Amino acid sequence: MKQVYPLTINGDVHEVAAPPHWSLLEVLRYGLGLTGTKQGCDKGDCGACTVLRDGEPILACCVLAISQQGHELITIEGLADADGPSPVQRAFDACGALQCGFCQPGMILSAHALLARDPDPEEATIVEALSGNLCRCTGYTKIVEAVRAARDLREAKVFADRADPGPFPRHLPVAHGPPAEGFQVIGSRGRKADAIAKATGAAQYTDDLALPRMAHGSILRSPYAHARIRSIDTSAAEAMPGVFAVVIGADMPTPYCVIPWTADEHALAVDKVRYIGDAVAAVAAVDEDTAEAAVQRIVVDYEVLQPVITPAEALAEGAPLVHDHDWKGRARRDNVCKTVELSFGEVDQALADAAAVVEGDWSYSGSTHAPIEPHCAIATWDPDGRLTLYSATQVMHYLHRELARVLGLPPDRIRVIQPTLGGAFGGKSEPFDLEFCAALLSKRAGRPVKILYTREEVFYAHRGRHPMDFHLRIAADAEGHITAVDNDIVLDGGAYHSFGLVTTYYAGQLLPGPLRFGSYRFRSQRVYTNKPCCGPKRGHGSVQPRFPLETALDELAQQLHLDPIEIRRRNAMADGERTINGQHVPSCGILQCLDAVEAASGWRERFGQLPFGRGLGIATSMYISGTAYPIYPNEMPQSGVTVLADRSGRLTVFSGTNDIGQGSDAVLAYIIAEETGALPEHIRVVSGDTELTPVDLGAYSSRVTYMAGLAAQEAGRALRGLLIEVVAETLQCDPAALIVVPGRYVLASDPDTGVEVADALRMAEAKLGTPVSRSGGYRTRELGGDYRGGTIGASPAYSATAHVAEVTVDPDTGVVRIEHVWAAHDCGRAINPTLVEGQIEGSVYMGLSEALYEDMAYHEGMEARRRAPGEHDRTRGLHLGPNLLDYRIATSLDTPPITASLVESIDPGGPYGAKEAGEGPLHPAIPAIANAIHDAVGIRLRTMPFTPQRVLAALRQAEGA
Amino acid sequence: MLRMPEFEVHHPTTPEEAVALRAELPGSMYVAGGTDLLPNLKHRLHEPPHLIALSRLSGLDRIEQDPDGSLILGASTPLAALAGSELLAASVPGLVEAAASIAGPQHRRMGTLGGNVMLDTRCLFYNQSRPWRQAVGGCLKKDGDWCHVIGSAKACVAAQSSDTVPMLVALDARLRALLPGGERRELPLLELFSRDGRFEQRHTLPPEALITHVHVPSPGAGHRSTYRKVRARSAVDYPQLSIALAATLEGERCTALQVVIGAMLPQPRPVPGLHALIGEALTDEVCEAIAEKAYKAARPQPQLHGEPSWRRHLCRIETRRGLQQLRSGPQPR
Repeated sequence: MKQVYPLTINGDVHEVAAPPHWSLLEVLRYGLGLTGTKQGCDKGDCGACTVLRDGEPILACCVLAISQQGHELITIEGLADADGPSPVQRAFDACGALQCGFCQPGMILSAHALLARDPDPEEATIVEALSGNLCRCTGYTKIVEAVRAARDLREAKVFADRADPGPFPRHLPVAHGPPAEGFQVIGSRGRKADAIAKATGAAQYTDDLALPRMAHGSILRSPYAHARIRSIDTSAAEAMPGVFAVVIGADMPTPYCVIPWTADEHALAVDKVRYIGDAVAAVAAVDEDTAEAAVQRIVVDYEVLQPVITPAEALAEGAPLVHDHDWKGRARRDNVCKTVELSFGEVDQALADAAAVVEGDWSYSGSTHAPIEPHCAIATWDPDGRLTLYSATQVMHYLHRELARVLGLPPDRIRVIQPTLGGAFGGKSEPFDLEFCAALLSKRAGRPVKILYTREEVFYAHRGRHPMDFHLRIAADAEGHITAVDNDIVLDGGAYHSFGLVTTYYAGQLLPGPLRFGSYRFRSQRVYTNKPCCGPKRGHGSVQPRFPLETALDELAQQLHLDPIEIRRRNAMADGERTINGQHVPSCGILQCLDAVEAASGWRERFGQLPFGRGLGIATSMYISGTAYPIYPNEMPQSGVTVLADRSGRLTVFSGTNDIGQGSDAVLAYIIAEETGALPEHIRVVSGDTELTPVDLGAYSSRVTYMAGLAAQEAGRALRGLLIEVVAETLQCDPAALIVVPGRYVLASDPDTGVEVADALRMAEAKLGTPVSRSGGYRTRELGGDYRGGTIGASPAYSATAHVAEVTVDPDTGVVRIEHVWAAHDCGRAINPTLVEGQIEGSVYMGLSEALYEDMAYHEGMEARRRAPGEHDRTRGLHLGPNLLDYRIATSLDTPPITASLVESIDPGGPYGAKEAGEGPLHPAIPAIANAIHDAVGIRLRTMPFTPQRVLAALRQAEGA
Repeated sequence: MLRMPEFEVHHPTTPEEAVALRAELPGSMYVAGGTDLLPNLKHRLHEPPHLIALSRLSGLDRIEQDPDGSLILGASTPLAALAGSELLAASVPGLVEAAASIAGPQHRRMGTLGGNVMLDTRCLFYNQSRPWRQAVGGCLKKDGDWCHVIGSAKACVAAQSSDTVPMLVALDARLRALLPGGERRELPLLELFSRDGRFEQRHTLPPEALITHVHVPSPGAGHRSTYRKVRARSAVDYPQLSIALAATLEGERCTALQVVIGAMLPQPRPVPGLHALIGEALTDEVCEAIAEKAYKAARPQPQLHGEPSWRRHLCRIETRRGLQQLRSGPQPR
């Protein structure tokens, strides 16, 4: 029963009408529409719902709204005043502290409260004050920088190039730094178009949307790791007042998968459930409480089956089968999902001839993306049977395709919209049960349906880093040249395929570079187990094998008495080289990366010479800039961009890309600005809507800057050509006599004579008719090795990265602290250096967090004598902590200073020479830390994460040896 | 998102009114800061028809010192106020350290001393959503009859996980509580806790009891205290284990010493057998001997994050380090 009571929020008195059991967060978001306050973790672990109560930050999800009468509440919407956004909000924007932006309203309010009570906080105080606000994008680096900048209110500290150090300008130009030589915009530091909307709470994420008559959905999930569904009785749920529709697996019998020909998953389980959390049925009801109560009334009769939890169990003779049939309908005999074996060169001979060999077993633990925004989808149908689905997805196009397949709808009757996205990292790169369920429930209910995952459901959706076990051998000659790498890999895939085929290849195919291998062999096998499905997490499939390779390389260097950086230099690939497995690497800046981190970290003076307990470690990596081939074979371009000129003076860029916080919209605007001369302020990017934009395959495999960037460059260049023709005609000059300067077309010989871009747009419309528009596309080039599988891992360009990590190890407790990470990344060309740094810092953060803290751990069962009495052990396969308290991602206090350096190798194929920056910089974090631990205390850790227990055990073993 | 069960909320303004409401509304629960209870409600660990909010009780949020030097801490005092108190920093710095180590900055502004003292015991099989717990068939503490941690139908080993409790126990703190009918009771804090971690059994006071104050005896000359919290990450984390130490030093000699282990079992565990060492100087050997006693007294269970053997090892290390810190000088901050 609702109660009516007043709350003072942002100075306004609201007459709230809400049930007394609603939290303040529920009243703000769902009662009053103040959706700037975000919901991330359900229960007080993440800080996204931070608001100010009488000036002090509190968590809106953990207080009762009705108890807040008499307090002054401030939400992010109340921080801006008539003069515009507050200094903290502007500082966050100006410093590039906003990536996905989802944690930022809470973060900004914590920072605001800190500066209100302590106008001159020290760095440590800032870091502490933000330690209750988890951020998954930024590594806190630019956030802390922004708070410092707001503290100092001297933009000179942020924009050293600006002559006038005053307070933050109200209207800081989008591009506000000097561009790279020879460019108008490219290379200048710049703001993101959506940053201030995110900083002020105005940006609309999926769960911020509410449609008229909208119902709420909830999904029933399996309590068993492995069971056959005998029957489902939904009658009690359907009979409940307020329930509009119930769906089960039989309602959507067509299997799906992001890779179309390996479909082994259903929107809702049809015959078996395969992990604790597998979806079984879904309900739409008048509100979330009713939907959840209805879900509890669905009765499922299960035949409980023996689960397989570890790959060893799954591969054992006679193991229960996770899938009875493969995706072609053939009976399965084992739990092997995919096996890849490839060999290049004379590996055995090279091992036999080597001067030094390192061989061993390594184990990489599973981890998950943990974006602060949980998955959310809203479906609605037009009266004439067209579906619109709003979803927190990073692959709108693939979602579109699979919706059509599972729902049996022609694709032209489906529109997918990606609202502002609160972090993804690969965790939103395929279709999920909630999208199909929302669509079908909405159809059945005859009204819009929203489904928002609980944080626990986000953990079950997973698709995160595969746990991998390695048996690796690496050999070198006496000079330290790598002559052979032989790697045997087992991937723990979980219950379904996901991108499994690609992951199985990537685990082997992406390793040979940026260091040269004399010969290479790998055998990679992905195994099904009864656990949530693994998939692509930032650095898909290739982060894991870097750990054995780069730590074994350190051992090799030790055996050969070589400096660890030197051995990497001796194996560094050069521009234009081909990897041993046939991938062409047009540009490779690894040597510059090594130089940069060596100098910045003081490596030469400090490596091997720090006191016991402190150490430095190095590691390198390479990563793709998009996959050469799309996930479904076709001859069409991977990306299209249209730019439309408008007589208002605006250019609108239409692109099917998904900006997931990395800033792809900002990159496209920069490219169009560079090509057309229009200022970025006058460019609007429309993306994330399948109905309005030409296709793009999505934000995965670090493809957007390269591929959509080239498409934008082509479109922008074509429009410039057209505009120059028109201007030349007006000025009665040769088009070749005109040049582009920011905002104008001018005579090269007389720069005072020219035409404003806005005027040129009007002239073009007058001369050529309306609309004036041009398009561009990116088409896959023929790439890759000439063998089966040789195109997987093929990319038009490869980035390179080197890290040096500095750690301290407490030999009494085993606790590792990371003191500093220096990361140098070859991004080809930094189109906007602020964004590239943000990607590097965030990658380093995510890597170190998984190295030390994160583990997707499952209960492997009680010994028989300890088991609860009964027919089977129900603890097996239980996730040990599907929430942001037990699954520990690093806080600001756990994150060291990160120094990002940019190396620009100017790739011959990329837009202005650009390559990827979003994933490569994660890879070296883990081995660099492992190598630093060795430098600190002399132990070689081969199992992740590097917990105090493991460190102590290794130290004791070393003492005993 | 996770939702709370339906309930009515009451806002008494005096402790007497609160206790009377609690007594007359069966199944009702108190809520102070909400940082422990609300997540537990979202997990459906309780479905109370009524909540009695303590946020409008007046006069219970003060930190006061009696003329004799003893400290009277109001139960509604925010944890951030404890962490920021100059008075406490000068007299019982260990309590300041303990309060400052709790969760994150927002939790410390919301959470209260009383709430932290009354914190529910924690366990990986208990602090989970209803569907998660249904998957394992419940546990001894909630909806089941089996403790999955120790494999037993008899004992619940959910851990007392408050950071202030072990420190207050080491400081010989006493609780002041109000009971129905106006009865006031005072008891040593240690006596609040039972050996049974189940919600209804974990305390010796009746559930209607409302904690009004915590009384900390005068620390006296030469008093030193410190709190050492073991946790997996530096913020927003409960203890995996903790060591609270309080001592009185006269010159080199240690004339009083309490070492209390937290986050191990349902009760805080004072390390026994320290009296033999009272009067000694805190030499390295004596510190090691005390650390050894802490190690021997430790019985961590796999109900929290971190291997029990490692947590037990940490008892020794953190006790030794805590003693060395006490020895190295007064620490008013």
